[in-house]
Order: sequence, then C-alpha cells, then structure tokens
Amino acid sequence: MCDLCMKHGAGGKWYLNAEHYSNQIVEKYNLRDFLMEQYKNFEQISVRKVHGFNAVGMGYKLRIPIIGRIVKHTAEKLLHSTNPPTNPFKPEGHIGQVIPLEDAIAILETCAVEPIIEKNCMCRYMNRGVKEACCINFGVMSEIIDKLPRFIPEKDKYFLTRKQAVERFREHNRKGYIGTIWFGPYPYINNLCSCANPECAGLRPRVDYGLKSIYKAEYIVHHHEADCTGCGACVKFCQFGAIEHDPLRKKITINMDKCFGCGLCRHACKQNAIHLHPRDETPGFEKDY
Amino acid sequence: MENRIKGKTRITIDYKKCGDGVGVDPRDCCACLRKCEPAVFLLHETLGAVEENPYDPRKWRVTALWLDLCTRCMKCVESCPAGAVTVSWR
Repeated sequence: MCDLCMKHGAGGKWYLNAEHYSNQIVEKYNLRDFLMEQYKNFEQISVRKVHGFNAVGMGYKLRIPIIGRIVKHTAEKLLHSTNPPTNPFKPEGHIGQVIPLEDAIAILETCAVEPIIEKNCMCRYMNRGVKEACCINFGVMSEIIDKLPRFIPEKDKYFLTRKQAVERFREHNRKGYIGTIWFGPYPYINNLCSCANPECAGLRPRVDYGLKSIYKAEYIVHHHEADCTGCGACVKFCQFGAIEHDPLRKKITINMDKCFGCGLCRHACKQNAIHLHPRDETPGFEKDY
Repeated sequence: MENRIKGKTRITIDYKKCGDGVGVDPRDCCACLRKCEPAVFLLHETLGAVEENPYDPRKWRVTALWLDLCTRCMKCVESCPAGAVTVSWR
C-alpha cells in the first residue's frame, strides 16, 4: 500500500474508494468553477510562474546546488497538497498513480460516476500537437469538457456507457498506453488516462527529473524465466526502459527498479511468462512507490 | 547526464514569425512538436492573451520547455516552415 492508500484508501486502494468520485465533493469545494477555470487555460500550467518558478528549463533549475532542492521540495509539496483547492492556476493536489488494466476496469465498472466521456488528451495536444481521443473522464468533469471545443473528439459519439468505456480503455492499453488515475484536484478523482511516456505532463517529471508527480503501481512485474523464449516482443511495450533483451541467454532481463507496474508487457507475451504481483509482497520493493 | 557535459542549450522561437497572433498559427503547423523526439516543446495560449481576455482563442505560441532534454538533433530547425526556431549552446 502506498501512502496515498494509507491516507485516503479507507482500508483499500485509494482509487477504489468510491467516496472520491462522488458529486458531493464537487458541491463541497465548488469544483465546478475551479475545474472550468483550470481546464480553460490548461496548457499554460507549465509556463505560468508558481512561487516565482515555472517549468521552463526545469532540469537546469534542479541542478543548482541548494536552490534545486528547494524547488524540488516545493513542487512535490504542491502536488501532494491536501488543502482544499483554491487557486486553479496551480497544479495543486494533482497526484496520480499508474494502474494495470484490471484495476481500471474495476474503477469503470464500480466507482466512476456517469456521465462518462472520452476526450482528446490535453498532454498529447500541448506537447505533440496531436488530437487523440483516449482520456476517460467522469462526472462533473465530463460536463466541463463538453463546453471546451478543443478537447471534444471529432467522432460523433464521445459520451460512453460503462461497457463502451471499458472496451475503449482495453483497446488503448493493448495498444501500449499506460493506464493512470489522477486526483485532480485532491479530493476528487475525475481522470482515467492512457498515457505515453515523453508526452505525458505527469509522467515526465517523474521519469526525467525524479519528482514524485505520479506513483508507481500497487503491482510489480514477475518474470517466469522457464517459460520465456527471449522473443523480445515485450521490450518495445515498456515505456520506462525496464526490460532488456539478452540474446546470449535467449531471455529478457527486467530492471525491477525501473518497473512502474503498468502491466503492458503482459499483452505482448505469447508464452504468458510475465505476471503482476502485489508490490508490498515483493521483498525489497515494499516502499518503492 | 550527457547534456551536463555539453553545457546549457538555448532554443529561441521568433514570435514575429510564429505565434502571438502574427505569422503562422502554431496550432495549424505543429511541425517542431511532432518532429522533436524528446518532446521538448509546449504549445500553449499566451499568458498575456488570457489576462486580457480569458476567452481569446487566437493567441497561441510554442515555448521550448524541457531544454535540458534537447539532444540538439536540429530537426525542429529543419522542419520549421517559417524559419522561426534557432538552437544554440555555450
């Protein structure tokens, strides 16, 4: 269990706690206006200065000896904030976790509040200029996205039933997109994304700069070497560079430190040699979120 | 790590040729965004545009955001139809 689950999970996983999806939270914190304001100007969030710093040339700022540490600490504090959301121009309390396909299906079938919508991914739009419909939103968020034309996909049907949403998510996951779930802002969960590594604005700080903007999954990959034929099909599915092909032994080698537990490599394995195990039952990786 | 040895990269975009409501609208082109392998660039509404009028959808620009991840492959310079991108380093 990660510390998000400890604090907000009510005994289970935080993203399977239906409380965080309810419309009551929206009314309590007046999130309707907050989210509208935030998503209207979403692309600016990295260039707008927060506490005197923006993300331009982030890597250089983090390398400055003492100031770099302060910047990192402040950024993490902001992302992990559990204060009631007030300023829509800050990425306050916007923290997420990688999830495998099974958990995403559980969320869509049991927790997600209707209406469910599929919108154009804003990260892919702002970092690549590509409009691809692959983020699934729930509840109030769907109503907000419906008012912002640049996020609405070109196809006619973007309001989905639960069954269609599961089907779409499965499609994205099998294609090689990482499933992630986000608090946005803190007490309200409204985004189920299918992310890709260099484009995602949430994965980038974690993978490239070591900021805890997203947690690793509750699972970690386990590899049955006896079944592995070393075909290397899983290598190209791993977006974190955790799997390497070893032609000498005709096997693959997995770097468990780099594994985020997204479970995409399983889709590529024809031998069924890769499985997911709970991270807290894996010795040495219990606290590695 | 390699970039640390190489020194700081500076990417400048000439906003008179691309963005800010003059020249090419970056939303129609996006050539640099799509060519860049480490996805260094960011497409966003100009900050000034929003402070004047939050609904102004016309003023967009491209900023080079994750400068330290630039590999200096120069694909953005080659692909820009307006010749607005320059990459330099010390």
